Amino acid sequence: MINGRNLLVPAGVRDFLPAEAAALRELEQKLVTCFQSWGYQEVLTPAFEFVATFQAGSPAGDEDSLYKFIDRQGRVLALRPEMTAPIARLVATSLRRETLPLRLCYCAPVFRFEEPRAGRQREFHQAGVELIGTGSVAADVEIIALAVEALLAAGLENFRLGIGQVAVTRGVLQGLDLPPEIVTRIKVALAGKDLVALEQIYSEYHLAGPQRRQLELLATLHGGAEALAVARQEFNQTGALAALDGLVQVWQALAACGLERWLFIDLGILRDFNYYTGIVFEGYVPGLGMPVCGGGRYDGLLGQFGYPCPATGFALGLERVLLAREEGRGPVRDGGYLVAGRDLAQVLRRAGELRRTGARVILDGESHSRGEAAARAADQGLDLLWTDD
Amino acid sequence: MVGDLLTLALPKGKLGEGAIQLLRQAGLPASGVDPEARQLVFTFPAAGARYLICRPTDVPTYVEHGAADLGIVGKDTLVEAGADVFELVDLGFGYCRFVVAAPRQRWEAAGQALENLLAGSRRVATKFPRVAAAFFQERGLPVEIIKLHGNIELAPLAGLADLIVDIVSTGRTLTENDLVEVAPIFSSTARLIANRVSYRINSQRLRPVIDALRQAATQGGAGFATNP
Repeated sequence: MINGRNLLVPAGVRDFLPAEAAALRELEQKLVTCFQSWGYQEVLTPAFEFVATFQAGSPAGDEDSLYKFIDRQGRVLALRPEMTAPIARLVATSLRRETLPLRLCYCAPVFRFEEPRAGRQREFHQAGVELIGTGSVAADVEIIALAVEALLAAGLENFRLGIGQVAVTRGVLQGLDLPPEIVTRIKVALAGKDLVALEQIYSEYHLAGPQRRQLELLATLHGGAEALAVARQEFNQTGALAALDGLVQVWQALAACGLERWLFIDLGILRDFNYYTGIVFEGYVPGLGMPVCGGGRYDGLLGQFGYPCPATGFALGLERVLLAREEGRGPVRDGGYLVAGRDLAQVLRRAGELRRTGARVILDGESHSRGEAAARAADQGLDLLWTDD
Repeated sequence: MVGDLLTLALPKGKLGEGAIQLLRQAGLPASGVDPEARQLVFTFPAAGARYLICRPTDVPTYVEHGAADLGIVGKDTLVEAGADVFELVDLGFGYCRFVVAAPRQRWEAAGQALENLLAGSRRVATKFPRVAAAFFQERGLPVEIIKLHGNIELAPLAGLADLIVDIVSTGRTLTENDLVEVAPIFSSTARLIANRVSYRINSQRLRPVIDALRQAATQGGAGFATNP
């Protein structure tokens, strides 16, 4: 069956060879250790669930990107496209009686039917956290500070985290008092950073003066504390102002912790408008065309599972982190012993003793002489233990 | 950004000539840059800039993956590529239109109505299958898309397709092949696009270049603009 389907894998999925698998597992372990040291407890959820769980307004729950199938009772199931919705379901059911806030983390493969591109496979690995049950400034600060620490733990150094606030954008758009169909077009253009479409909207609807200036600022405001000061001056509507003040507080707290060097403000970062409700952020690494992590506040999701409460979180794309570190190969696990001899029982016993000391031990019951075993050991970079002496 | 070089992806061909003219008007280095030359990479270390000469359809790909920070590409190519990039400036030159065209006789026989035309014939030849499919889908018109790589006007003459979706600038090619425009889809000009990550983290380096190109584009376009 050469050239048959049994030798291929479908587009968008891949094997991890030993060095790649080792790099991925090492990364996962570092991240989970980092999350746990901040008090986040790991949870596991099923690889597939009822499709309704993922349709609950989650960002990746877009119908077309779900892998769906039908169980024997005729119910529609789907592979998880992300972990936030399953965790929201789990919190709204099994953890409902727990004291809030809850700190949970995960590390799991997820599945999306998308065109495979660099850093975008159909099966990919995510590690992330959810902080559920608090809408405080402290929670937003904690999540962003943890994101910085997670990226450092992941071995990235040159990254920057861009912070936006969708409630500012919402507030400004409301304050402009435009018809809903224009607002929808503006939202689409803002979310896709289509500045040409925005220009067209300005001239089509004769938007000028402060209206136009505010929209331009929403699309392009970028920087640090000075950018926030500009926004504070320009957006004097009440809706945007409360959200903006929250963002200023979060920024000041993060700056006071010395995290400013990793961060910038960009009101153009919106992620998914219909899902996120407050501060959102994305992590970028030079040379990688897509964000390595993303997240934000999603106060509306838990309510869809009958347990209304605020929440925030983020996820890292592990393949993207590995790509950013340019590591095709991870740490090669070498060193250790080759235990060889003609008496297999003796080989097994000596190997067991050595392993109890923590050593890595490989068995060799096939070499007929010390010389042959020594050659094998040298070939694999191992120390030889010949048991027939 | 490679090292400290800002990388700009430029299209080969006619659009590339317009792009280079615009670079000059914007005060960016352009001496010796030729979109038809064998040389594919032009580096200007003093200005901290590097140009990649790509096939027009590949410009969105280079930018999306971050191999280039910025790119100049036609809106037609950009829509067809469906790439996840930021569209920053309408550069004004390279004007053309996407249209549906049909053989004149067939169009007249159909009483000049698209629905009638599609009643018995629904094969559409095009270089732009994504644009064509979106146009017909939005109107609820089922068609069979045939992807070709050039000389689309040949397809109806040879009986391969009943309609074509193609870009036209003057419409002369259509007339010469006895085809008539039966529906406009949208019009296109060159756009400045940016990689979404680079635009955010290299903002200080990119902004002056983007502003210079925007200004050059608004100050009377890039020479041979056929903008109406």
